[in-house]
Amino acid sequence: MELTEREYKALEDIVGVEYISKDLAIRDTYNQVWGNKLVFGEKWSPRPVAVLLPGNTEEIQAIVKVCNRYGIQFKPFSSGFEITAIGLASEKGIMLDLKRMDRILEIDVKNMHAVVEPYVSVHRLQLEVAKYGLYYGAVAAGPSAGVIASSCCHAGSGQTNVFAGAIERNVLGAEWVLPTGEIIKLGTAASGDGWFSADGPGMSLRGVLRGHCGANGGHGVITKASVKLYPWYGPSELERSGEIPALRAVKKVPDQYKVFVISFPTQDNGFDALAEIGKAEIAYSDYQIPLPPGGNLCEGNDEMWENMQKLDPAAAKMFATMVIVILGANSSREMEYREKYLLKILEKFGGILLPPLNDPMVHAGMFDASMFSFGSVRHVFRLTSDFFINPCADGSEGLCKNLHKAAKEVMGPYWSNGTILQVGSAIFHPVYENYTVGSHHEDMYMYDPYDPDSLEGTRELIGKTVDPNGKFRRLCVPCLGGGLQFEPVNHIHETWGSIYDNYDVWQRQIKAALDPNNVADWGCYIPPVYP
Amino acid sequence: MTEEKKLKEIVGAGNFSHEQAILGEYSEDLSFVPKVRPRYVVKPGNAEQVQKIVAWANETLTPLIPVSSGPPHFRGDTVPNEGGAVIVDLSRMKKILRVDSFNKLAMVEPGVTFAELQSELTKAGLYAYMPLCPRNSKSVIGSMLEREPITMPAHHWDCTDPMLCAEIVFGTGDKLRGGEAAGPDTIEEQWELGKAQMTPMGLGQFNEHRLISGAQGTIGIVTWSTLKCRFLSKMNRTFLVPSEQIEPLIDLSYKLLRIRLGDHLFLLNGLNLACLLAKTPDRIEELRAILPPWALIVSFEGYGELPEDKVRYQEADFIDMAQSCQIEPKTTLSGVNADEFAVILSRPSVEPYWKLRLKGGCNDIFFLTTLDKIPVFVSAISRLMYTHRYPVESMGVYIQPVVQGTSCHCEFNLYHDPAKKNELDNIRWMVNEGSRDLAKQGGFFSRPYGAWADFAYTGAAEAVAMQRKMKKIFDPKGILNPGKLCL
Amino acid sequence: MSLETYKHDMLRCTRCSYCKWIPFENFRQSDFIKGCPSVAKYHWHAYSAGGKFNIALSFLEGRIPYSEPFLNAVYQCQMDGSCDVSCKSVQDIEPLQLMQELRMRCVEDGQVIPAHTPMIDCLRKEDNMMQRLKADRGKWAKSLDVKDLTKEEAEVYFHAGCKYSFDEGLGHVARDGLTLLREARVDVGIMGQAEMCCGGRAYELGYGGELAKYASRHKKALEKAGVKTIVTPCSHCYQTMKVLYDKVGQKLGMEVLHITEYLDRLIREGKIKLRKPVPLTVTYHDPCHLGRLAEPWVHWNGKETKVLGQMIVHDPPKKFRRGANGVYDVPRNILNSLPGLKFVEMYRIRASAWCCGSGGGVKEAYPEFAIWTAKDRIREAKSIGAEAILSACPYCTQNFKDTIKETGEKLKVFDVIELVQQSI
Repeated sequence: MELTEREYKALEDIVGVEYISKDLAIRDTYNQVWGNKLVFGEKWSPRPVAVLLPGNTEEIQAIVKVCNRYGIQFKPFSSGFEITAIGLASEKGIMLDLKRMDRILEIDVKNMHAVVEPYVSVHRLQLEVAKYGLYYGAVAAGPSAGVIASSCCHAGSGQTNVFAGAIERNVLGAEWVLPTGEIIKLGTAASGDGWFSADGPGMSLRGVLRGHCGANGGHGVITKASVKLYPWYGPSELERSGEIPALRAVKKVPDQYKVFVISFPTQDNGFDALAEIGKAEIAYSDYQIPLPPGGNLCEGNDEMWENMQKLDPAAAKMFATMVIVILGANSSREMEYREKYLLKILEKFGGILLPPLNDPMVHAGMFDASMFSFGSVRHVFRLTSDFFINPCADGSEGLCKNLHKAAKEVMGPYWSNGTILQVGSAIFHPVYENYTVGSHHEDMYMYDPYDPDSLEGTRELIGKTVDPNGKFRRLCVPCLGGGLQFEPVNHIHETWGSIYDNYDVWQRQIKAALDPNNVADWGCYIPPVYP
Repeated sequence: MTEEKKLKEIVGAGNFSHEQAILGEYSEDLSFVPKVRPRYVVKPGNAEQVQKIVAWANETLTPLIPVSSGPPHFRGDTVPNEGGAVIVDLSRMKKILRVDSFNKLAMVEPGVTFAELQSELTKAGLYAYMPLCPRNSKSVIGSMLEREPITMPAHHWDCTDPMLCAEIVFGTGDKLRGGEAAGPDTIEEQWELGKAQMTPMGLGQFNEHRLISGAQGTIGIVTWSTLKCRFLSKMNRTFLVPSEQIEPLIDLSYKLLRIRLGDHLFLLNGLNLACLLAKTPDRIEELRAILPPWALIVSFEGYGELPEDKVRYQEADFIDMAQSCQIEPKTTLSGVNADEFAVILSRPSVEPYWKLRLKGGCNDIFFLTTLDKIPVFVSAISRLMYTHRYPVESMGVYIQPVVQGTSCHCEFNLYHDPAKKNELDNIRWMVNEGSRDLAKQGGFFSRPYGAWADFAYTGAAEAVAMQRKMKKIFDPKGILNPGKLCL
Repeated sequence: MSLETYKHDMLRCTRCSYCKWIPFENFRQSDFIKGCPSVAKYHWHAYSAGGKFNIALSFLEGRIPYSEPFLNAVYQCQMDGSCDVSCKSVQDIEPLQLMQELRMRCVEDGQVIPAHTPMIDCLRKEDNMMQRLKADRGKWAKSLDVKDLTKEEAEVYFHAGCKYSFDEGLGHVARDGLTLLREARVDVGIMGQAEMCCGGRAYELGYGGELAKYASRHKKALEKAGVKTIVTPCSHCYQTMKVLYDKVGQKLGMEVLHITEYLDRLIREGKIKLRKPVPLTVTYHDPCHLGRLAEPWVHWNGKETKVLGQMIVHDPPKKFRRGANGVYDVPRNILNSLPGLKFVEMYRIRASAWCCGSGGGVKEAYPEFAIWTAKDRIREAKSIGAEAILSACPYCTQNFKDTIKETGEKLKVFDVIELVQQSI
């Protein structure tokens, strides 16, 4: 399907000829992202009929109105680095690439928040606010993740959630172009008196903005957001060494921080310790991750494999139940207390600090990996080309433990038969907010979409994890509340909604209410009526 | 079947009332909302009864006013806006369903008060996060739904804290358990599975908990909720930091908040401090005369595995910080022992409720702002009072940083003798009209009770539209507390 | 090699978009974190390396034909390699090689840029890319008493390059460079009028055949002249002779050095003494062709294999060129040896340097884009308080000069050679 001349011209009149294209070459660069082969059977998701580069909120509003007039679906995105970012449910869909909207509008140092546009990345914001002794929490997707994308539009967790908040809970304001073309500002942003609260008057419309996951553009375009900032104890600029970026790390962990890479005798010990460390209110970072055996700083896969082969099997096993804790402190007294408490917890749960995992170079690499999520792309994509993260949940440790247990049972055969990367337990498990709202848990698997056996095996595996009558039925809605999937293909909301208190019924009504003409692409949100 | 019979069938005859005296209690409160008498009062005992009441209300188009706290009520949100309403008094639902010491949370029904909860929590080594000395009859769930600020900003990560997951009966009569609480199992079965109804971040791609927060019962009725608790303090160290001006205390507060040092942390003016400490008007006046104009209250709570270590280092760091600001924190202030104050802070207000001690009456004006703007508002309200001949010395001030210091709750307590009509008229003007002036200066009335709803939504037409859309979804027949907010 | 060779990489591009930025590990100042000038200016994903992977795959699969936007995305690119360094900080794929193949495929299919055609025509007729007569080559060295390698032998061949040979405004730099060698008593000669293009710039435009031709001709001529070491002041020629000739299997059997490398050697040996102060606050711009693109070529002939089920490795192991082994320290050593000089670093340096704007045929075909790119570099230099920006490539210095002329910015532009000359 193509836009008519009139439709195209109406859009061109808004953004200018330079910022719209219907050229096939341009369009085919907006439908290729990791995960596509899994979902669509090929590298390409449906091709947009045009791509636009709007420059500001008013242009987006005008575009949305045109979409309503002509029945064109739109989908906004920033970095576009997610399987849900650029998948279109519609044959007549346009992409709104928000790359031109890249300003950091305000940093309120005293009141610890920043207001940004969609194309501001997490690390760019981190860099900027570090000058003021502030920090924005890492997003596991990596330093290029969009601040607005992760906090408002999608989902995600991060290595420093224990200290810097669960990402969903850090939104203090938003400006939002609704699918009708109206612009809403949440909370204080509407009054012009600052962007410090998105809740009210009355009910909090953050509840419409997102839930477990955001709407992935399915209910409009978030054009500005205010996000909460946290204390940063380190210097405003960190010195790094190493010429090859993949091997670069801080020269030394800043004095105000200490890194601990902890091994536990059992996974359950690890989970319990993660929660205890959270509850102790001492950690800046508190999570489990499978450190690539061979080190987190490896130039490439070949080098990593070489390192791995040098490890003895016992050492390799260490990596399976490894918890990263970083303590940050404002004073030496505070650090002393925190470290003392941490060691007490380790003693209680049998946690040990193995020398190979705790040398200064490993610590430096883990500091960067934890604070800024450096290396996340290389760890989940470079190894095999692609990865997926269902089962995943946000919940209490009990839920996470059971989820992991079920995941291990289901994934085991696929590790054994080589369908997915055999790293054993590929857990990413950060604790949220001093373990006061639970933790995040993912069992990741790395697969090769271009290896037919791997692809089919992975599909089969995912099928088991999203089977509403399978092992995970009682645990949680898959794919982070349905937001990390493509509804027209995976039907998570349709198949799980009735099992989970009919949440989908409400969500569809929200969609219908906000988007009467169904112009905001629903592929990664929900349709008003299931097709 | 008559309506009365139907309702009695649902809740039991003993939990139904249409006696004038009882109806009268719900027809007004200490706010200035117009008096409207309800038709009935029902007291359901469980969620099924609540659902049936809601189903009945949909059939009969009867407004329902959910109430969970006991009197006296102050905000007007539990007074019907329309005639023919039925009060759904949830105070009978008093179960503490679970205390989970590993996950530091409790699950309570709406009728549970802080005092009731705390006695159970203590057994498990836990403590409830409380607003500032709530009244004895205050419902825990009611307080959380109203987004009343807790006194520990470092522990206040998001505006809905400490509320976690809830079971909600929407205005359609449908029930939903939010966040981690949803699923095919009963709650008990979930517990067996290790689930704890802990993570509140919404179920799918919307967050049901946020929609009911601050909604004054217009979206749904909560039949239980989990809430975060903290460890019980084994010891603590409380400081009262005096100042003639508020500005130095704001600066010190910013420093503390920046590094999340301190547990209790808030500012009071001398009058409010006196009202909390003393129980009689005379004693309050005596104390107020010797207390400083302003005080910052900071505590360092000792809990966890190393309680003494925690308190010791935090106190030392705090002293260093205060010294760098040339401020001297006190453990005894004008004869007031900070430890004594800590005890007061640790529990709901003893009778009489602290806000009613000075003159018998109190109306609050409160809104959100940022700490740096507080002096502006203190001046603004003083001017308003002066022009309306309300004695500034009868005003309490309570400044509570929230959401880890990214904003603050600014509260002015207007004490008055309810028997004196002219005082009452002045207060009414201040609350209904004077507050409009504060809004124009940037005060964010995020909890728009009564007349505040008239101006709180100024400039937020789109928010109004969206809230009405949500209302249409979750309460299409508009039976839940109609007329509140912008609905 | 062909476009199809990179299908594996096209499929595996995840759209992480790291190619648009310098490596995140190298971020220092949030105003200066962009890496790719093309996507920074034009914004379309097609202009990024990731976008080129997408375009190439769609093209190979017959999903898209050539079009003006297709060709704009291909040619409005300096081929500077910033994307390559960034991508390979997280992936084992080859964006720059893919982009090179894509250009070559476009040229093969006749999809060329009109502005490039006269350059190539001239190259084929006159052995230079400057659209000048071969007969005029060598005039830059007029009256310099130096060996003519068409007639004599010498240990060192000084290759000026087309830019220095014909650009009257820059020729003095080549003269200075050669003079420094002669005064240090280096046994050096030039080819004079017989000097020919290295073929590198043509290759970068997609004309692959020219490279092999010039590699072969150089090898023959220089072997005949008994040359052991090639020294060139042009980064582009340096990269071509050192890396690209090797890439196409025509490695010259002699040492190839950039003049900064040779000068550094002479300084350390005491044969050049830097005496006079150069009281200036300067910053150094790493030319792409001296830095990340000049990393020695690594030949690999093997296959992809899997371990641990699905982990992709190579047999034999494949050493990817990730930009680390370019010439970064040597020019800095020289600058740090200059008395009185204050050297300040910009934010995007070494393998993360922002391109000057000139490469990839952009200066010729899209001059306003070249200037736009240079403006950002000049802004960066000014932001750190530099009075002058130095480089080691005539294309860089020329583009900076052109930009300063247009903007009126107060920033001096020098080649490293010029400051060395000032200090002698």
